[in-house]
Amino acid sequence: MAKLWAIIKREYLERVRSKWFLIATFFGPIFFSAIIIVPAWLASKSKATSDVYNTTILDATGTGFGHRLAVNIAGDSTIPGRMPTVKVVAPSELTMAESLATHEVMRKQKTGYVVVNQQTLAGESARYAGTNATSIADMAQIKSAIRQTILASRLETVGLDNEKMKEITFIPLDFSTERITERGRAGSGMASVLFGFAIGFLLYLSIVVYGQTIMSGVLEEKTTRVAEVVMSSVPTDTLLVGKVLGVGAVGLTQQILWIGTTYVLLKLRAPIMAKLGAPAVTFSLPDISLAAGILFLLFFLLGFIFYSSLYAAVGSSVNSESEARQAASPLMIMIVSTGVFIQPVLLNPTGTTAKVLSLVPISSPIIMPIRMAVTGVPPLELAGSLAFLAIGCVLALWLASRIYRVGLLMYGKRPTMKEMARWVSYAR
Amino acid sequence: MTEYAIDIVNITKRFAGHTAVRDLTLRVPTGSVYGLLGPNGAGKTTTIRMILNIIAPDSGMIHIFGRPSNDPKITERLGYLPEERGLYRKMQVRRVLKFLAELKGVRGSDADRRIDEWLERLSLKTPEKDWGLAKIDELSRGMQQKVQFIGTLLHDPDLVILDEPFSGLDPINAQALKDTVVELKHRGKTVIFSTHLMDNAERLCDSVCIIAQGEKVLDGTVTDVREEHGQRNIALALESGASVQRFEMIQPSLHQIFLQKVGARGVEERMSGHG
Repeated sequence: MAKLWAIIKREYLERVRSKWFLIATFFGPIFFSAIIIVPAWLASKSKATSDVYNTTILDATGTGFGHRLAVNIAGDSTIPGRMPTVKVVAPSELTMAESLATHEVMRKQKTGYVVVNQQTLAGESARYAGTNATSIADMAQIKSAIRQTILASRLETVGLDNEKMKEITFIPLDFSTERITERGRAGSGMASVLFGFAIGFLLYLSIVVYGQTIMSGVLEEKTTRVAEVVMSSVPTDTLLVGKVLGVGAVGLTQQILWIGTTYVLLKLRAPIMAKLGAPAVTFSLPDISLAAGILFLLFFLLGFIFYSSLYAAVGSSVNSESEARQAASPLMIMIVSTGVFIQPVLLNPTGTTAKVLSLVPISSPIIMPIRMAVTGVPPLELAGSLAFLAIGCVLALWLASRIYRVGLLMYGKRPTMKEMARWVSYAR
Repeated sequence: MTEYAIDIVNITKRFAGHTAVRDLTLRVPTGSVYGLLGPNGAGKTTTIRMILNIIAPDSGMIHIFGRPSNDPKITERLGYLPEERGLYRKMQVRRVLKFLAELKGVRGSDADRRIDEWLERLSLKTPEKDWGLAKIDELSRGMQQKVQFIGTLLHDPDLVILDEPFSGLDPINAQALKDTVVELKHRGKTVIFSTHLMDNAERLCDSVCIIAQGEKVLDGTVTDVREEHGQRNIALALESGASVQRFEMIQPSLHQIFLQKVGARGVEERMSGHG
């Protein structure tokens, strides 16, 4: 036990002390809060920008339509400068006015200009030209302002007064979405998907990174022949388990640090968003219970044990980094093909694909936590998934320890699959 | 104290396609320096690995100080220096040594004290510079060998197993190693080392065992081996008038016995590439 502890301690401390760990721990939360902040920022981008105010309205209707449109584009804002400039022009001078306005845009004095004329009054057409013509939100705002102005003009002709008109046409609709699970309402639907994605990605990344860490660690021990010294002091099984647990603890430490700092960053999100010039978007983290949190960590640990023991076996069977990369490709394929399913599972977390993938040990450590994040999973499925994964871990460890103890002492040519199968059958 | 530090009875180890060690029996008396001699591929390393319980024999028994070699308590009394050497390159010297000590059951502060003693003794720690704080890969090859050597002896093992200890050592470290072997013997420790350098074996060993192709060729004390296996053929051809001023029996060197015994089994030809 003391020896197992010595191995765990070495694996843990040597890695936690490394620069690599510090860098990853530092950049992780920045990365994850970016995952959460950027979409929110982009979402805020879907609101029209202040560009719409810096436009010119070329009014060739001769009815004062342009002024009313300007008021509608500006919304409730009465701040000077937050209102498009209106130029009333005769229809015959429109071409000239447009070319002047184009020059203004080219000189960056204005963002763009709207042309309204008789066809606009008739509700047929209007034109916009500007640098922000591709901004969906800006265009939507201008378009809806034009609609609103046309509607107002029409209402005016049937004899409604200004106040009534405003009352009828002002519709500041805020469309929010919320997800419903078997446990009831569970916060913003977008937030759940993002959270599920973040969880999936985190697990995926950790398994790949730490699996390969173990593989290179084993390879280093083999090539430097330290393995032989260690094997003369402890049984290989203890060495393997110590390595897996030690590196697993590093992964767990990193995740806890990541989650902790990401949480703090999220708390500070409003000030950060304000700095970015985006309005604070109400954003609630999905409601995750303590039990679910513990289950996430359990899936991480088991998934980690499953893959890292196999990675250790690969590391012990080869003689160089390049051989290792090649030999690890089946494992990589297993993980990457699971990664491919993250999105389909997010879109349909209760479908057959999702259910099957969350039972198979190869994919369950990544897929099941994603499902848990975005939907309610029946306890029976959870138990089944954990049971299969635990069995998978025992098998992987058993297989790995058999390959490991022979592989560590075999130098020279890389073994074939057949040879490795024979190693498994060796007594010792 | 048991009579034999190592007691091997009829062990055999087969790998796919060939037998590495065949029906080997040997006994290493406690407190002796024992040489395991043989050409490359003779089964020396396999035998050593079985003694260390890194691999298990297919048949036969190994006892270390009277206990089965897979007894976990036994490993703490063994010190092992493998043939190919290396350490965790990115680790601090002190931490590597402490790790190796912990694997042998030496506790924290005790390990620290011993590490200091050894570092000073092998001049890796001087008032000017403490190499214990450097990383392994900042050390020269010679210094790394010293560190590895410290790692082997740090827990004060009763049985020290050195696999080809002289290979790759510079003359100074080689001498330091020889001195240490002698000192270990004086302190009642048992040392077993494999080598194909006969003069080292002859100078250091009390007993030897020569193995070739996985089988024991001969074993015994160095004196007995010379007595029994050295040939005493003398051929004198004197020109007329020449006088013999001195005539004495010279015991054959271990090297000659080795060549004679192992070469006779066809190994010599194989080694030199004529087989």
